Amino acid sequence: MAQQEKLRIGVFICHCGLNIAGVLDIKELVEYAKTLPDVVYVKDNRYTCADPGQDEIRKAVKEHKLNRVVVAACSPRMHEPTFRRTVSEAGLNPFLFEMANIREFSSWCHPSTPKEATEKAKDIIRMAVAKARLLMPLQTIEVPVINKALVIGGGIAGMNAALDLAEMGFKVYLLEKGESIGGHMAQLDKTFPTLDCSICIEGPKMVDVGRHPNIEIISYADLISVSGFIGNFKVKIRRNPRYVIAENCTGCGECKDVCPIEYPNEWDMGLGVRKAISVPFDQAVPLVYTINKDYCIECYKCVDACGERQAINFDQKPEEIELEVGAIIVSTGYDIYLPYDNQLFGYGKYTNVLTSLEFERLILAAGPTGGKVIRASDGQKPHSVAFIQCVGSRDANKYPYCSNFCCMYTLKHVVQLKEKYKEDVEVYVFYMDMRTNFKGFEEFYQRARELGVNFIRGRVSRIFEVPETKNLLIHAEDANLGMPVEIEADMVVLATAAIPKKGTEDIARILNLTRGADGFFMESHPKLKPLDAPTDGIFLAGACQGPKDIPYSVSQGCGAASRAATVLSKQKWKIEPIIAVVDSSKCRNVTTKCGICAERCPYGAIKAEEKQPAQVITAMCHGCGTCVAECPADAITQMHFTDAQILAQLRTALEKNPEEKILAFLCNWCSYAGADLAGTSRFEYPPTIRPIRVMCSGRVDRDFVLEAFKLGAGMVLVAACHLPYDCHYISGNWKMKARMDALAPMLQKLGLSPERFRVEYVSAAEGVKFAELIREMTEQMHALGKERIKAENEKLRPVLENMLKRKGKS
Amino acid sequence: MPLKTLKKETAETLTLEWILHVKNYKLTLDKGLCVGCEICSLACPKEAITLQKQPKTAEGKTQHAKVDVNLEKCNFCGICDVVCPYGAIKVTLNGGHAVAVVEKESFPQLVREIQVDTTKCPVDCLECEKACPLNLIKVNLLTADGKSVRDSTALSREEQKGLKVNVSIKKEQCPCCRICEFKCPEGVLRVRKIFYGKISINTEKCPEGCRECLDVCPITGALYVSETDGKVHVNELFCVYCGACKIVCPVNEALTLKRTKILHTPVRSGAWNKALERLASPIEVTKELKAKGSIKAAESVEKRFKTKEVKT
Repeated sequence: MAQQEKLRIGVFICHCGLNIAGVLDIKELVEYAKTLPDVVYVKDNRYTCADPGQDEIRKAVKEHKLNRVVVAACSPRMHEPTFRRTVSEAGLNPFLFEMANIREFSSWCHPSTPKEATEKAKDIIRMAVAKARLLMPLQTIEVPVINKALVIGGGIAGMNAALDLAEMGFKVYLLEKGESIGGHMAQLDKTFPTLDCSICIEGPKMVDVGRHPNIEIISYADLISVSGFIGNFKVKIRRNPRYVIAENCTGCGECKDVCPIEYPNEWDMGLGVRKAISVPFDQAVPLVYTINKDYCIECYKCVDACGERQAINFDQKPEEIELEVGAIIVSTGYDIYLPYDNQLFGYGKYTNVLTSLEFERLILAAGPTGGKVIRASDGQKPHSVAFIQCVGSRDANKYPYCSNFCCMYTLKHVVQLKEKYKEDVEVYVFYMDMRTNFKGFEEFYQRARELGVNFIRGRVSRIFEVPETKNLLIHAEDANLGMPVEIEADMVVLATAAIPKKGTEDIARILNLTRGADGFFMESHPKLKPLDAPTDGIFLAGACQGPKDIPYSVSQGCGAASRAATVLSKQKWKIEPIIAVVDSSKCRNVTTKCGICAERCPYGAIKAEEKQPAQVITAMCHGCGTCVAECPADAITQMHFTDAQILAQLRTALEKNPEEKILAFLCNWCSYAGADLAGTSRFEYPPTIRPIRVMCSGRVDRDFVLEAFKLGAGMVLVAACHLPYDCHYISGNWKMKARMDALAPMLQKLGLSPERFRVEYVSAAEGVKFAELIREMTEQMHALGKERIKAENEKLRPVLENMLKRKGKS
Repeated sequence: MPLKTLKKETAETLTLEWILHVKNYKLTLDKGLCVGCEICSLACPKEAITLQKQPKTAEGKTQHAKVDVNLEKCNFCGICDVVCPYGAIKVTLNGGHAVAVVEKESFPQLVREIQVDTTKCPVDCLECEKACPLNLIKVNLLTADGKSVRDSTALSREEQKGLKVNVSIKKEQCPCCRICEFKCPEGVLRVRKIFYGKISINTEKCPEGCRECLDVCPITGALYVSETDGKVHVNELFCVYCGACKIVCPVNEALTLKRTKILHTPVRSGAWNKALERLASPIEVTKELKAKGSIKAAESVEKRFKTKEVKT
């Protein structure tokens, strides 16, 4: 479709005041641009981005019938959106615009060599024009949005997310794996640092959720599968049988009274029991009883007690539910580590050693002991209790991260104990650091100290049980005194690590979410997109992303709701059209089992069914281009970053004196931004590089490197986001690494000096590193010398030509 | 303290435990009392109890099957405790004998109808004590001033005058074989069986010289070797239909045992119906349900098993 119309390219060169014009010879650039093919109009402006500058573009497009526009000015990361809008206002498709970055990449980083800088700027403009000649108009893709949301996990974060969305008027499905919503907060006695009763503040919120007309709670259910994309997710859920008909159950509890069977209550951390037909706790929402068939003996006493209400149905089967939603909020929470595998603390072995969550159930008035803190060994109140911090957390051998809330809940426990039993109980806390860095926390720590709690800084090395008394001997090192201490306590409470919820890996698989080294879900960006999952339309809230206390989880729930509303409030969702497209006539999957693209796509956006050409699910594609580079048949094209466009830039860059140039592929989010920063920071480096911007390093095809060396490039650099987690497309940098790791030794075998092909990782903050890298590479290039490079290239060329010919690319 | 679950086995007992911070559930199987019958394994609603055949002793005597309880499946409901005709299983809560299914009337208890009219007992008669195959009966004499003695001859004539005979029976361990009743010279004892049924041995199928069923039968006299054919025969008068013999019988269908009725306290319970189904047969369940007036439930069992022919 493209080339029917004769190309008429307009080039606009910006002075940027003296920012560009102070170094570069603008006149020379203007004259040079006029000589470039298909360029029919060239103009320089003092400030192209200002209104008069933009006006000139609009006017020129109309007057000179321009059908491509190149602006040579600052970084596209700065003003590409501005000028796209400008050309579109002039009636041109916004994707028929290209930017040449001659400020950050030339005038700002080569101020002392204006001549060379101007030459480099010429190359950059020439490369932009070359790409512009091949640009194609693209239409922004729009998908309809289903204005409903799914919230996975009904803890305090998920409840707040659901409530906020419901209040905004969106229908919300709240999926809960357990019998009741409420999460861990409903298990707690008091909350720090105010010591208000947890269920008293959460209970009403749970009722609000249960009653809200826009919220449908789907409890005692599992997530089975999710397909589709932002605005259009199809969700399958399996509701497990409670053997009680929810609509008929009044929650009266008469069934529970007649039930003969008791079993350990997980809600009580196995400290107490519950009936085979029961609710986990009295405030459960929905208040529907559940029969645990693992323990029920089917005596049907409950059926008799239920009587005419007829709420019990022993033949209930699992039920599959299908939903359609536009956005998903994941708030699956955390679990508490049970240190059975750590011999040092004797958990599970010594009767009077328990975890903090077990202690929580012990001190809770509604708990199995009615709020009495008693020892399991003799039912007596302990006169000394030792709290041990960082069990599993901040432990290089177990969970290296800090679990965030343990310091505070331990302070809560010691204050509760001291206020309850006064001088009757001696309390010790063994800690590494007391982390009390939020509102009211430090004051609370002070309160604990004033109550006479013994804080001992140091790691516990070992706990022994005194067989006669079942007391515990704690061996530790007091780091402040620098000497070992031994303390005998009646009870030991372990503040164990918060770990990813059981089943997190299943949720990750179903939703295609990534998890960090700690196992928690990864956010899209640690600073600016803390609530977004890398997959569009999916958001994270609460401790599923990392341990969080209650206020933090609530804020995240509300935040995620508002993020989800940005999708749900729209009729249509716009998608950048820089996506991948498969040419089904070239796709190998039709004849052989290939599917490489589907396997390598970081987003699972490609389907490659047997004997079918691979298919890109447009709305799920993020436009990294990894599949394009991976496709062995070159059957995939990335819009706006086509092979032809990139090769045109590459060939243009290496037209003259290629052996003196470093051809650099820079990923948009890290390395290109890092190079921009080198410019804005005015770090000077030699003007040897010719940069090509790609969205992700994963886009860098092997053939690009081969082509560059075939054309005689002095050096080739591929720069990406840092491993392992910085890639903005989850794992594009890893795919690039694997590809280049295979390519480098091959090139060396063919006689290429190893320093001539480099893969580097430069973050957006590493302007200095970028400048140093180019300096170092230039030095190496000069050290090798033109002659040696030329000789190597002579040797390489026929082989590379052959390789590329086979693929029909040369 | 987190939940602890324990299983311990010694030569005398098998113990299962749930130790919670505030409660302790315990199941104890007394191996001395257990005869390896099938009653508990059939009654267990969680199918937690299994029987394992044991190798013969060095002398070539067959040993009764060994009862094993699966800790993962057991829920300490106490049904095994209730149904064991030999009283070999005890379920306790915090050390006290507590069977929740009995307290909550969700499972019946076995009825042991044993009546002793000691007024008719002749002094110094020990026939019942001697006859009991399980040594559950103790006879002693009470003097007027409440002294307990075994032998009246040692007493003075004065003391002999006011003597009362006392027969104590460990009822909870008695499978009600009725041997004592038959051996009692004065007809003092009246015993009703707990289990009613039919047992027969097809001697044609019995291997030559096989004594396996006889070796394990806890009731002396319920099985005997006939002098005419040298094979084991049944005396149904004394059989308690516990099934210990059936478990060890090496030949398919050489020994058949069917329970038809079980004496129990009147309780409506689904768990009992299921247990009865396995201990006796679905037909017995429908019969019992109809007798209790639970016509609907009876129909559902019939439908489930497609057994309409209720013959007596």
